[in-house]
Amino acid sequence: MHNYSEFISLMGNKILSKNEKQKRLYFEVGNENIIEVADYLFTKLGCRLSTATATETYRGIEVLYHFSLDKSGEYYCPRIVMTDKKNPRMNSITPVVRGAEWIEREMSEMLGVTFEGHPRPEPLLTGNHPQNIKVPLRKWRSNG
Amino acid sequence: MDKNVIPVGPYHPLLEEAEYFTLQVDGETVVDIDLEIGWMHRGHEFISESKTFTQSLYLVERICGICSTSHPLAAVHAMEDVDNIEIPLRARYIRTLVGELERIHSHLLWLGLAGHFIGYDTLWMWAWKYREPVLQMFEIISGNRNHYGMMRVGGVAKDVDPDKIKSLLDIMDEIEKKIQMIAKAANDDPVLKSRLKGVGVLTKKDAVDFCAVGPTARASGVSVDVRKDEPTDAYDLVDFKIIVTENGDVFDKTVVRLLETFESIKICKQCLEKLKTVNGGIRNNVKEISAGEGIGRYEAPRGEVFHYVRTDGTNRPVRHKVRAPSYVNIPTFKASCKGIPVADALITLAAVDPCYCCTERSIKIRDKNNEPYQLDLMKLSREKTEQIRRQMK
Repeated sequence: MHNYSEFISLMGNKILSKNEKQKRLYFEVGNENIIEVADYLFTKLGCRLSTATATETYRGIEVLYHFSLDKSGEYYCPRIVMTDKKNPRMNSITPVVRGAEWIEREMSEMLGVTFEGHPRPEPLLTGNHPQNIKVPLRKWRSNG
Repeated sequence: MDKNVIPVGPYHPLLEEAEYFTLQVDGETVVDIDLEIGWMHRGHEFISESKTFTQSLYLVERICGICSTSHPLAAVHAMEDVDNIEIPLRARYIRTLVGELERIHSHLLWLGLAGHFIGYDTLWMWAWKYREPVLQMFEIISGNRNHYGMMRVGGVAKDVDPDKIKSLLDIMDEIEKKIQMIAKAANDDPVLKSRLKGVGVLTKKDAVDFCAVGPTARASGVSVDVRKDEPTDAYDLVDFKIIVTENGDVFDKTVVRLLETFESIKICKQCLEKLKTVNGGIRNNVKEISAGEGIGRYEAPRGEVFHYVRTDGTNRPVRHKVRAPSYVNIPTFKASCKGIPVADALITLAAVDPCYCCTERSIKIRDKNNEPYQLDLMKLSREKTEQIRRQMK
């Protein structure tokens, strides 16, 4: 088992819950802390952002970032949960991690998440779609 | 001076699929570049949620014709990561063998196209001619020249016939000789160096900032390679090195890919030798995948392919995220294309190795009076090569 304890103790109560397994640390943080956590992982720890995954669950809309620490093969995955499914909003990490620009645009159009502070909040994949589709990955979309 | 806008695409021979670039030019110099995508979006992630885990592998195999092993390999890694599933030793060598053969044919494909774009058609003919035996090896191993259907959760679908290993090694020796010849010819060609050195530079800082991967990052001095960073399959059992160069230009990207091809040949030979002696099963019988989440990745020819699956204990994923390497490499154009001549934009856009379709199309430039006139980027690129060739005589 790899050792995430230093990072966990450093983040303290910013980590609301965690699930640690071999070379993987999934942990939940509040929206108010995501920029600080992302900045620490990218700038201080030297992680690379692989991508991010947005998922609709019973709790709400989840956004899970996947930061890879390449020198050790470990992943740090901070998770944000937005319980307001009708108007999910969270802070954008693009101002501190430039590589997040495209994936945040994609999550925004696919699941309707508003990324506050994103420098270019416009659709990435559906902008040219002939049917003007909205939030295609939301479960309720077929019911209107 | 007034700035003009040059649209490239959505259909153009340098683009793998439909993408639309707009180059802002000041005279001959590119001052900014933007990109629109979305025409090729097929909803794989959504479709995968309605497929079983095994069906999902066939689906992701068809995301890309070139990386048709990298996606299913990353997907099985993600599914195996949920329960830390072990796979048999023989299957580890077979997975590695197929993955490296894919790298050889992909790098040769790119090398040929890069030569074609700058008017070096001999390189194109050579590279594609000597790529053919690699596809024949795939046919011997899997029965298919493309979309091999080899990956399964817990192992591989098909074994390598022990009687075929000697002939596979013979083909590998022949490929190695031919690629050595190509590498020597390319290295001795002064026009090629003049045409590619210092062109489309991506600095190390920009590569890190854009989270670039694969040869695009390694040519800029960023030593990132999943095969060493988190070795899966047989990568911790074979000897190879990671190729890293410092200049970040198109020439370095070419060098990285060429040298990586030799490393891949080395890995393939080791795997084939091991398959002579390593016996046992090729697949563990995985009955179910429990509820949880898993991350899987593989070093595709273009860089890290990333898959994430979330499961609920049923026989299908509730979420399947896919991120191909081009998704993070393409945005580096913002850094590498600024300040270069229009004639160099073609090869710089191609240097991150997006896939290609064979539709050639001229482009339109709108001047300040919004009057269009025709200009062919490929013609421009070749004219520059000819100009350099004349200067060197």
